[in-house]
Amino acid sequence: MSLRIGVFICHCGTNIGGTVNVPEVVKYAATLPDVVHTEGNLYTCSEDGLSSIRNQIEEQELNRVVVASCTPRTHEPLFKKNCELAGLNKYLFEFVNLREHCSWVHMTQQDDATDKAKDLVRMGVAKVSLLTPAEDLSTEVLPSSLIIGGGISGLSAALTLANQGYHVELLEKRDRLGGLLRDVNRVFPSNVPTSDLIDPLIDTVLKHDNIRVHFQAELIDVKGFIGNFTATIKENDGIGELKIGTIIVAVGANELKPEGMFGYHLFKNVMTQLEFEQQYRGDYNGLKDIVMINCVGARTDDMPYCGRFCCITAMKNAILLKEADPEAEVTILQRDIMAFGKVFEEYYQKAMQVGVRFVRYTVDRLPEINGVGNEANKVRVYHELMGRDLELNADAVILTTPLVPAEDNQTLSRMMKIPVGNEGFFMEAHQKLRPVEFPADGIFIAGCARYPTEIVECISQGYAAAAKAAAPMSQGRVVTEALIAKVNPVMCSACGRCVEICPFGAIDWTDVSVSPKHTRRIAAVNQAECKGCGLCAASCLSSAVQLKGFTDEEILAMVNATIL
Amino acid sequence: MTQKATLVIGGGIAGMQASIDLANMGIKAYLLEKKPSIGGRMAQLDKTFPTNDCSMCILAPKMIECANHENVELITYSELSELTGSSGDFKAKIIRKARFINEEKCVGCGECIEGCPITVSDEFNAGLGNRKAIYKYFPQAVPSTFAIDRSGTAPCKAECPAHISVQGYVALIAQGRFQEALKLIKEENPLPAICGRVCHHPCESLCTRGQVDEPVAIDFIKRFVADLDLNSETRYIPQVKEKKEDKVAIIGAGPAGLSCAYYLAREGYRVTIYEKLPVTGGMLSVGIPEYRLPREIINAEVQIIRDMGVEIRTGVEIGKDITVKELREKEYKAIFLGIGAHECKSLNIEGEDLEGVYPGVDFLREVNLGKKVSLGDRIAVIGGGNVAMDTVRTARRLGVKEPFVLYRRSLEEMPANEEEIEECREEGIPIYPLTNPTRIIGEDGRVKAVECLRMRLGEPDESGRRRPVPIEGSEFIMEVDGVVPAIGQESDWSCLGSECSCTLSGWGTMNVDPVTLQTDDPDIFAGGDAVTGPRTVIEAIEAGKQAADSIDRFIRGVDLKEGRGKTWEPVKDIPTAGYEHIPRTRMPRIEPETRVSNFKEVQLGFSEEETVAEAKRCISCGVCSECYTCVQACKAEAVDFHQKERETTLNVGAVVLATGFDLYNVAPLMEYGWGRIEDVITAMQFERMICASGPTIGHLKRPSDGREPKRLGFIQCVGSRDIRHMKYCSAVCCMHATKEAILAHEHYPELTSTIFYMDMRAVGKGFQEYVRRAKSEYKVEYVRARPGRVTLNEESQNPVIHYEDTVNRELKAREFDMVILSQALIPTESNISIAEKLGVELDEFGFIAVPEELRNPFGTTKEGIFGCGFCQAPMDVPDSVIRASAAASKVAEVLA
Repeated sequence: MSLRIGVFICHCGTNIGGTVNVPEVVKYAATLPDVVHTEGNLYTCSEDGLSSIRNQIEEQELNRVVVASCTPRTHEPLFKKNCELAGLNKYLFEFVNLREHCSWVHMTQQDDATDKAKDLVRMGVAKVSLLTPAEDLSTEVLPSSLIIGGGISGLSAALTLANQGYHVELLEKRDRLGGLLRDVNRVFPSNVPTSDLIDPLIDTVLKHDNIRVHFQAELIDVKGFIGNFTATIKENDGIGELKIGTIIVAVGANELKPEGMFGYHLFKNVMTQLEFEQQYRGDYNGLKDIVMINCVGARTDDMPYCGRFCCITAMKNAILLKEADPEAEVTILQRDIMAFGKVFEEYYQKAMQVGVRFVRYTVDRLPEINGVGNEANKVRVYHELMGRDLELNADAVILTTPLVPAEDNQTLSRMMKIPVGNEGFFMEAHQKLRPVEFPADGIFIAGCARYPTEIVECISQGYAAAAKAAAPMSQGRVVTEALIAKVNPVMCSACGRCVEICPFGAIDWTDVSVSPKHTRRIAAVNQAECKGCGLCAASCLSSAVQLKGFTDEEILAMVNATIL
Repeated sequence: MTQKATLVIGGGIAGMQASIDLANMGIKAYLLEKKPSIGGRMAQLDKTFPTNDCSMCILAPKMIECANHENVELITYSELSELTGSSGDFKAKIIRKARFINEEKCVGCGECIEGCPITVSDEFNAGLGNRKAIYKYFPQAVPSTFAIDRSGTAPCKAECPAHISVQGYVALIAQGRFQEALKLIKEENPLPAICGRVCHHPCESLCTRGQVDEPVAIDFIKRFVADLDLNSETRYIPQVKEKKEDKVAIIGAGPAGLSCAYYLAREGYRVTIYEKLPVTGGMLSVGIPEYRLPREIINAEVQIIRDMGVEIRTGVEIGKDITVKELREKEYKAIFLGIGAHECKSLNIEGEDLEGVYPGVDFLREVNLGKKVSLGDRIAVIGGGNVAMDTVRTARRLGVKEPFVLYRRSLEEMPANEEEIEECREEGIPIYPLTNPTRIIGEDGRVKAVECLRMRLGEPDESGRRRPVPIEGSEFIMEVDGVVPAIGQESDWSCLGSECSCTLSGWGTMNVDPVTLQTDDPDIFAGGDAVTGPRTVIEAIEAGKQAADSIDRFIRGVDLKEGRGKTWEPVKDIPTAGYEHIPRTRMPRIEPETRVSNFKEVQLGFSEEETVAEAKRCISCGVCSECYTCVQACKAEAVDFHQKERETTLNVGAVVLATGFDLYNVAPLMEYGWGRIEDVITAMQFERMICASGPTIGHLKRPSDGREPKRLGFIQCVGSRDIRHMKYCSAVCCMHATKEAILAHEHYPELTSTIFYMDMRAVGKGFQEYVRRAKSEYKVEYVRARPGRVTLNEESQNPVIHYEDTVNRELKAREFDMVILSQALIPTESNISIAEKLGVELDEFGFIAVPEELRNPFGTTKEGIFGCGFCQAPMDVPDSVIRASAAASKVAEVLA
């Protein structure tokens, strides 16, 4: 069938029409090859404009449509949908940006802007001639989720997904659920025993029909993509496979053991906050003078990040100590009190009220621990406000250390093609707006595996990651736009550049048979994972990778239209 | 039954994220936002920490996703009014405020902004810039629909009997757009040059400017533009619609008849006016003296009506020269009676028939028609209205040596215009108040004296004025040569024959339907003084306009009443604080000694400068001035001034609160000088300033002198962590200030910043690294101190921060070019009313209370209602979106 192109040029009120001579561009467009209909609209996006496009598709039997108007960012979906309504495949539509790319930037050069508008329209027409129809891809999504890690984040995610009716495979490395919280005595700011919080939760999870817990289980491998992952796991009784639609990574983190700092392991009464909680469990018999040192192994040149809630942990133990024995001298040596927000600032006030003493130190004058034998008994610190050194008695010295990444993060990163940041925590898709997602579809992140996170935020992240996982599972399918990359097997030289560069892990190696006896290894795009960003196509030296809707032929046609 | 839908309240980043997640989980989300656009606070930010991503670049796609998602319905510019039901099955009533823009038609092109004469402070730019009354909340707003900031009809317009868009034309005049102003006036008033001289201007009596200093001189402003048109070569003639065949007869060429003719002619009718007098204008010509209203002004305004195709036949008396019956036979489809009230009421006292007693209106008519009238040297004019003033001043000009006024109430009760009374005084004419004539004494059949009683004021009567009560035995006699009663007029109905079935009231006025002005004769309509008794020009004009509408409907055969009888409620609670006192411009007049000897116009009119300056005194009571410039400008025909507030009911299974935060007002922290020292601004103001789409297009400019600052001082915890204000930590300000300091340095590499802080709370992912970079790469200095005050160095005009250097333990003062206050962030005020409607509790600060934070961080005190983001407690963007997604997951559980 011969090409019948319709070109609709928008005045956008005076936004375009005030600079570009639209009637002239309309007239010009009519002279372009295969253009059978042109019109100018005051507002192409208004119902008048849209119905005109639909009518012309029908009356003029248009099989390609070009709209030259404002910006594809807001309006392309509208026009594409409109074409579909009139029975034209939406991939036979091309958008020409006359406002942002032309009238707005050339407001003072009206004639030149009109010439440029003609160029842009000519390019659009050249490209639309080469477009071919396509259908969006749809893949099934299994309604089950693999959650890696049975800490508070993983438990929260598991529970909400199960309550929504999805099946959950909960993988726990240890022989019990609860993660790091198991070692914590009480939780701030309510100071209730941790078991009050965690035991009922574990109980519900264990009894839930929709949750299967795998204890002492190790993830060996993950294959597949959103909707259809296959996870290989090693359990007590051997190796098995799980078929799941989505994955949530909630592997948690560990407390830093400050080897070589502040007499740790040199004196037996120098310990971390977690060790202190485990050792004393609320029975502080005999402790009169306690000194805590914050920011141990944090906010230094080597370990730049802040542990986020270490200050609060120190305050918690200090308050508990003071409550157990108001006569006890509890001093927290700190650099900044990170009591951010509403609840923690209040908690800070409380700590001061019960008599916890806060002394600020600076990195250039670190506190010194002195002791006799393997017992520390004095801490010396420079008091900035007083302008002199203080010597504090110490029955125990508690070092407040941040959480550090779990040891198998790197392995998981390679296994699932999910990125890890400089500190070794997992890196989310976008720090601001996609905090529980990975660039790859169908895999999500929650809790301390991402960054040190307090309990309430762990719970929130568990729920948030669950919401993200539930979305494709509730729809049962994922639909991918047809504008994705494809590898031409004949031209692929297997250089691997595209495999490297794909930010979504959507390109992998595959073997194709090239003769009855020979197979060849080439790159292949997983359609469900490709986002159509085009990095692979741009990086391919053999022109083997082509992006639908932006093929070399189409782009070159536009370039030719500009220069010829 | 469980509703698979959720109401999300608040269209900021948390509300948007919750909506998208719900929608993606197959749950319909109604996203309710009180502002005209979603986007919330994040839309105001330039960049976001710690990645310095452009805020709008990452937010806009989210907004568009919300708008395009088939499971998300945006309900912007709307508020919750009621929630009933329980978890799983709520009913939410929503009030959709009127945007006065048709959402379906508006394409967001912005053509409407250009002409809008009203400029208001732009809250989106934290008050740093201005926007128009018709506006898009911000350039990338979603929906892109505009809105008109219209708090109601200004008192001047509501009070004006003709409901002219007074604020509208005043606003246009303030911009020197005189022709547009005139067109706007002529929509509602065909005789502006006349009204500009003789209107009793009730618009001014309610003018809100009067609460600041004095009312705007609206009438004189109007006169200026009307005169400008009268004197121009090409005058404005309103466009006449397609000519119709139907004929209408109008009896009386006074203001009512002229107005009726004008509006009918505009509709295309063939209109003939029959006038008994040899001149047009009715009372305007024969009742008002020339020195107040020159004849050429009347003629010029009437000429426009003639130019619109109206035929005027003067000297034709209905009932004598031609009858109503004959008019009907001549196929006039309708008749309008605007015959006025030209017969003087009698005093009903002894001696009224003596020679030398000359009724006021008769006197004025004779004089105005050029006849000679001689009354003697000492003349008593009786009455306190404009006719009395006109009579006495005319008498003065005719050479009467001692004309004076007798009035039975006090000066305060006088119905005459204040200016007339004032000018009367200037001309040396005495007014004797609380004096009532009881008898006219004659000699040889001629007036010799008038006997009067002194009066005092009693209780108010039905008109609200205090009733005059005679003082017993206070009779006294004044010798006079003539007496001119001017105590009111009535109509002469000899025009009506037996063919008419219309009826008169006990007062001798025509009985009409109060809305349609139709008489008992279906084809006869009446208005003006003939219906109301003697009233004002502007009321007669309005009556003529309303009658024209009725006649048009009558001829077209449609309902006469539908959509009419609107009551005009003026907008209330108009802020009047903060205006500088500017006295009202005085009308220049001819000196009294010169003017008393002639009939030249006393009032000289404003100059262009005076007019514009006076118009600028308007304080824009209704915000939108109703000038309708936008209606003309909108090619998509989307502006709709008739749009009303609407109510919708939604069935939802759950509610998610995401109402975000407000900015704490830092003015009460007097020590930091905001509002007192110009170059002390808030962090949000700085954010808008550094933003490329902000009021300074991203340039840092000191508010005081526009100079580019070189040294910035940031003060943290302003209102936060402060028991006098907000006890809590606002959670984001440390990073926010750090970001602003970095951005400032990126814009101006010479610039340095100092941040005064208590604890540098950089607790999120990448935050410490961000602060390190600020120090090492962006010349940001961090000083641990809580400054005590900010003062102004009078010499350099720079703000100075006073603080204690805790390292060296000494008090210091440092001068900066600009000081930025990191103001506390507080729960939105609307939380109080929303919480009440939802039945959820708030905490002591007004945040949504979270009763079981450890078990259900998204819960509220009511089942089925959830919270997320800053409305629960201070938190940054990632934490807010996490909470939003989490709340969505919780909702999905409940609705599963």
